[in-house]
Amino acid sequence: MLRTRITAAGLFALMAWQGILQDAAAQTPTRSPAPPGAQVYFHYPIDGLSVPERFTVRIGLRGMGVAPAGVNHARTGHHHLLIDTDPGPPDQPIPSDYNNIHLGNGQTEVVVTLPKGRHTLQLLLGDYNHTPHNPPVMSQKITVNVR
Amino acid sequence: MLRLAPALLLLVLAVAIPLAGASAQERARQRSPAPATARLSFIGLADKAQVPAKLTVRFAISGMEVVPAGQAVRNGGHHHLLIDTELPPLDQPIPSDFNHVHFGGGQTEAEIALTPGKHTLQLLFADHNHVPHDPPIMSERITVEVPAIPAEKPRSAAAPGARVFFIDLQDGATIPSRAKIRFGAEGITVTPAGISSPNGGHHHLLVDTELPALDREIPSDFNHLHFGRGQTEVELSLPPGEHTLQLLMGDHEHVPHDPPVVSQRIRVRVVGDAQASVATPPAPHAHGAGPARTPSPNDAAVYFVYPRDGDVIYPTSTIRFGLRNMGVAPAGVAKPNTGHHHLLVDTGPPSFDAPIPSDLNHIHFGGGQTEYRLTLPNGRHTLQLLLADENHLPYDPPVISQRITVIVAPGGPNARRRR
Repeated sequence: MLRTRITAAGLFALMAWQGILQDAAAQTPTRSPAPPGAQVYFHYPIDGLSVPERFTVRIGLRGMGVAPAGVNHARTGHHHLLIDTDPGPPDQPIPSDYNNIHLGNGQTEVVVTLPKGRHTLQLLLGDYNHTPHNPPVMSQKITVNVR
Repeated sequence: MLRLAPALLLLVLAVAIPLAGASAQERARQRSPAPATARLSFIGLADKAQVPAKLTVRFAISGMEVVPAGQAVRNGGHHHLLIDTELPPLDQPIPSDFNHVHFGGGQTEAEIALTPGKHTLQLLFADHNHVPHDPPIMSERITVEVPAIPAEKPRSAAAPGARVFFIDLQDGATIPSRAKIRFGAEGITVTPAGISSPNGGHHHLLVDTELPALDREIPSDFNHLHFGRGQTEVELSLPPGEHTLQLLMGDHEHVPHDPPVVSQRIRVRVVGDAQASVATPPAPHAHGAGPARTPSPNDAAVYFVYPRDGDVIYPTSTIRFGLRNMGVAPAGVAKPNTGHHHLLVDTGPPSFDAPIPSDLNHIHFGGGQTEYRLTLPNGRHTLQLLLADENHLPYDPPVISQRITVIVAPGGPNARRRR
């Protein structure tokens, strides 16, 4: 009962979302399509891990390839590491600041230095324009404990 | 509404992912027998020893043999180092985490990093399934202490009047996208990293970034370039547009001096004559009429995230590639410091002066892929990664991984091979 309701709500939300996207497509740049099954994930660290202040984030990507920013190839994108922040609207370019680290040269790992405490990390793939794909290819949001 | 949909996708992913992990933990495993005379101990590391934060721990085993994980050999096994933890249940595979470090490749030493304070260390030997033997072969549990260091690293003093500066490069200058940047230093000696000398240090070039924290190591990434060998120039590749450059001296431990020796932060404008300059990279090692190889950046390295040398893997396994200090680009894309992966299966490295062949033993990832589902027949195989430029030519020097050996077995890492 509960499950059908959730499914229905999910379907409704997805349909509504698609609808919004089609409406929005008129004024925003077209987003690159992501192949079904594409997934970005953390090799390291994993959710809940304690890490030193300076550590290397290693990024895995399934079903797509990596290309530097500005290179418009089908089924490719470049990684963004979101630190202590939520992804912005999926139809807007990912901002570039201390919380949104762009790996525009096609890097698949990055050394970050974080203050002690809990931090969240999330991966989001952007296309050649730094805009998330459609649907967005992003990882689970993980929490690390910097000690 | 916009917020809800990504959350929903995440929910679906979150449900799908953990299903794989939560099986086969509770059931007691069959333990391999061990001779009563077997002994396991640390080499040169005594109980209550004072140790540095980074130390190499060496293991000694007698009466048994070290074999990589996955290989069932009588009286054989591999080491596990337990850090700050009690013994795990002895009828279960040893967990794999920061407190239980596995040496499944058959290693007999390891470099570990410890935080200041007291830590316990213990060695535990385990069989091909990571299950301790019967009786368990383990070392004494020893306590070591890492002396507390002051929260702030002591900074090396710099002579008053010491300064760093760009040579022949003014604020507001226009430079090509591949430009040679020269650094000067006055009142301070340029010494390679790692060598402690009074009033000495090495250059760091900060590209498009603010000054980092001055009381700790300067980060090492694409925005903070280290010149740890004491270099005083660099050939820098930048995309067209406005960029900022700044020099910062670091001491032998990459920590800025006190007071910091730092240059003015200058703005440069990079003009996009990229085609002209990238098409003619310097090629000191080009042989004969062959195409010129692209030089690889300092410290670039390619490596296997999975599997590791000696691992037992499933016939169909996802091979994951790691790349340090370079980026990935699809084949045909000419961009400095990027390349694409090639997986060499059961073959030695090809000639570095010719494009990498394309066949069943040389798998190209021209789409910029960073992992690949590989199917192999049972038995021993070798794997090696080789990065190549937009023309499939290896770099100079080549960016190539260690050649690893994997054992393909129907049951993968859980394969039990009876003898």
